[in-house]
Amino acid sequence: MKNDTFWRYTTLMPAVLLFVALTVVPMVNLFVLSFHHVEWIERIAIWKSVGWSNYTAAFEDNLFRAGAFNTVVFAVVAVTVQMVLGFILALLTIGVTRGRTFYRTVFLLPILVPGIIIGAIWKLMYSYDFGVINKTAIFLGMSPQDWLGNPNLALASVIVVDIWHWTPFCFLLLLAALESLPQDIYEAARIDGSSPWQALRFITLPLMLPAIIVTFVFRMILALKVFDEVYLLTGGGPGTSTEVVSFTIYRRFFTEDRPGYGAAISIITFAAVAILIFVAGRISRRRKAS
Amino acid sequence: MRHIPINSTHALRGTVRRTLAAMLLVTTSTAAMAADQAPMTIVINQSPWFAGFQKVVELYQSETGNTVNLDVNPFAGSLEKQRHAVRTGESPYDVLIMNAGFFIEFYSGGFLEPLTNIEAGFKLSPDIYTFDDSVYWNAETKQIDAANGDLLSVPVNPFLPLLHYRADLYAEKGLNVPTTWDELYDNAKALHNPPAMYGISQRGQRGAFDVTFDVLPYVWSHGGAFFADQKGGDYTVTINSPETLAGMETYLKLAQDVGHPSTAGQTQTNVIQNMATGQAAHIQGVPAPALFDDPANSIVVGKVNYAPTPGTAEYPSSPPLGHWLAGVPKNIPDDRKAAALAFLTWFQTDEAQRAYAEAGSPPVSRAVLTSDLADKPEFRYMKALADSIPNARLTFVIPEASQVLAITELRLNQAISGELPLKEALNTAATEIAKVMTDSGYTAPVLPPLE
Amino acid sequence: MHSDSLISTITRHTVLALSALIVIFPFLWIVAAGFKTQIDLLLGKFLFVPTWRNFESVLFNSGSDFLRNFANSVIVASTSMVLVLVVATLAAYSLYRLRWPSWVLHSLLAWSLVFHMVPPITLAGAWFTMFRSIGMDNTLSGIILAHTTLNLPMALWMMGVFIRDVPTELVDAASMDGARTPQVLRHVVLPIVRPGLAATGILSFIFSWNEFPVVLTLAQRQTATVPIGIGKYAQDNTVAFTEMAAASTLSMLPAFLLLLIAQRFIVRGLTSGAVK
Repeated sequence: MKNDTFWRYTTLMPAVLLFVALTVVPMVNLFVLSFHHVEWIERIAIWKSVGWSNYTAAFEDNLFRAGAFNTVVFAVVAVTVQMVLGFILALLTIGVTRGRTFYRTVFLLPILVPGIIIGAIWKLMYSYDFGVINKTAIFLGMSPQDWLGNPNLALASVIVVDIWHWTPFCFLLLLAALESLPQDIYEAARIDGSSPWQALRFITLPLMLPAIIVTFVFRMILALKVFDEVYLLTGGGPGTSTEVVSFTIYRRFFTEDRPGYGAAISIITFAAVAILIFVAGRISRRRKAS
Repeated sequence: MRHIPINSTHALRGTVRRTLAAMLLVTTSTAAMAADQAPMTIVINQSPWFAGFQKVVELYQSETGNTVNLDVNPFAGSLEKQRHAVRTGESPYDVLIMNAGFFIEFYSGGFLEPLTNIEAGFKLSPDIYTFDDSVYWNAETKQIDAANGDLLSVPVNPFLPLLHYRADLYAEKGLNVPTTWDELYDNAKALHNPPAMYGISQRGQRGAFDVTFDVLPYVWSHGGAFFADQKGGDYTVTINSPETLAGMETYLKLAQDVGHPSTAGQTQTNVIQNMATGQAAHIQGVPAPALFDDPANSIVVGKVNYAPTPGTAEYPSSPPLGHWLAGVPKNIPDDRKAAALAFLTWFQTDEAQRAYAEAGSPPVSRAVLTSDLADKPEFRYMKALADSIPNARLTFVIPEASQVLAITELRLNQAISGELPLKEALNTAATEIAKVMTDSGYTAPVLPPLE
Repeated sequence: MHSDSLISTITRHTVLALSALIVIFPFLWIVAAGFKTQIDLLLGKFLFVPTWRNFESVLFNSGSDFLRNFANSVIVASTSMVLVLVVATLAAYSLYRLRWPSWVLHSLLAWSLVFHMVPPITLAGAWFTMFRSIGMDNTLSGIILAHTTLNLPMALWMMGVFIRDVPTELVDAASMDGARTPQVLRHVVLPIVRPGLAATGILSFIFSWNEFPVVLTLAQRQTATVPIGIGKYAQDNTVAFTEMAAASTLSMLPAFLLLLIAQRFIVRGLTSGAVK
């Protein structure tokens, strides 16, 4: 079985090498960096050890706090709406065969567009003075809204863009899952006299749960990393109303050139994500066990 | 066929165009001689004045045969790129085009070669503005210092905010060009007719250097500031002084009474759009004439005129500098430093500056700004610009500029959007700025909070 | 659930058509914007005289590198796609079919998931410094490696789902017959996971094609990709929307072609992978 061992290592090695070289090593660097303050004097980087002060500062950082809060709100609201809308659309349209190819092509389109373009388009469409949305509102006799400049509306406006961007994707995945459900169960349920609502509640939802979870996780991961769209849409403003974590990190780390502090908030974000995954894993394992 | 490398990296594109251009150069330009300098690279970001700069670089290449590559970057990330470049072993770039808000960190980090070290006799041409002495740096005192400092850079662009006003509407209503904020307020009020026309469209959005840049002409001309005297080494935080408050109150009064309903959400792009679509009577913006005199971009062609930003009875027009400087990094070989200097020497000549202006970019030469060009309608911004430069001041002369800006951008934006009361916003900003400064080792006392 | 009444059919088609319209509207709008002048766009004109100016400026202006950006994007996206498929398929096969102790499986998957959830911008600076120190900065290889790493967790996850579909008995039977791992992979595993490869490949291609912040940090002019080229139209003082729209229209072409040709395949692969 020597051959087996050889191939076992050879097949896994490329992935491990990539991960170690490009994620573990930088992450360790980042960790070390997070306990330092870096200054440049006469072209030489001076690393000053500052203990935990970068971490304590992070908890007082209003941008970082707002960013963390908004990111969670953004991800949870956007992804939930996408899932619900996608699911409703899938329920409504299951069984449509005419124009299938056309619809699939159309619904795949949005994921092909770079976020930076999406940000630019929607910024123009949201524009107070000449945006197509306000023009339509005025045409319909409503008063124009300051979609991106009003602190109470800005985050919602950004979320709408994300919903536009990703609902079609959720819809396609959920539709495929729905179509793969065994139809004879529904026949049996109908003969038993259960209402369509009961069928949905007690048959469709439980059977769809794995697909729903997978789609949800897939989207959640991308939503927590949101950057490009916010970048062009609002730049985090007005105030801190659309500040998101990757944006705060970018700004603190690079724009303000505070690598030590930027590293600390990166590590905090990283740790929070790791804990989240660990807890979610625990819960799902316990549920499986029971 | 021997032709001049207009740009050696353009291999993929425009063969026909290039061949034509090359033929033209070979036949018309006797100066098409062999290159006497090493090829060099300028790192620059995409700006309204880039097109003009590109034409000047092409002219330099055709006149000297030297090769100049332009590494054009999105505005986002170009500062980071320059930092990376000067901090590594050998910089890929030979000339850095640095922005007024952030150049000090390149000075104070010791990343730039004093230009006289490259060539002892190098001097800034007396025609070229120094923009509040921003080209001189004293490495020992860590201060801008025209008397004892080294010459570290050559200005390449004179951006500073000018008041843009609708000359046609002024003529129609018989208004005079304002010199004080009160006069501006009256004029704006006379023209304010929303949503068809806003008296003024201001740039209150939070960005890298957006709302801060927009309020500074107001704050300074009321005697306010963010620090007591940066150049003199007094870092007392004055963002919550009564004078700064007065400046901000003027700004807010214009915004509320005669301004855009979404001032807190307006970027420079929105403001320019307001003017270009004929929806703003006034804006404050950098001189980029192509924006409003090109029928493809604007419906107010020939109708926008320019003036220095207003002042008050006590203080004159006080525009902040948003200019750009070209510096040469230390970490490149000598031949490339020499090539960079050769370009910068040529760039200061009257011929280059004139060509630069004619290509649509405001020049940095006093001689050209006040020449016969200024009388031509397409260069009507020149007089306002030349009048503004003597009063224009540097915004930040500390390497911590970006950290202070992160605070001012947020707090000023919140004051404009009404998220925070003005006084509270200024007091908060003062405490936060003082913390940044103290943490960086400055003595930065704060004033008693505004009540 | 399948009622065949006319009303429900009409409802379904209306809902679908309306949603399709909402999805497609911004695209039509971008394409139209590419043919407008800036002022026509700002004034929101529906009727306009189309102009080629924006496309000309994107393709031929001496300050624009769009064609090179495009070529770079093709190279980066396709090479990193191939790499990520190879690496992820091998690793997934190894993890799920070659009897690694469970801690290896779990720690690798957990790490990849955590890494996948962290904003890539956090590592971009470290990557730049690393690549610079080994002379790989400003090379396409550096960007390719970065994108391979970025897409590896997703690929590992998706390919894992497909590999677990490969019956263990089949692998064991083949091994009994004396087939070595490469042969098993080629003759047993690959035919089964082909739809998975298509789906994973297309997703990594698209994510690499669209990726902005990492390339922004790593690339210079010679190595910049399409999103950077598009990002350039957002200047410090104004946004050149029409040229941006023209560049966007052009940049969506390859993905759109891919979609037209392989649409059926993508959805099947995606869904059979993600929905199990």
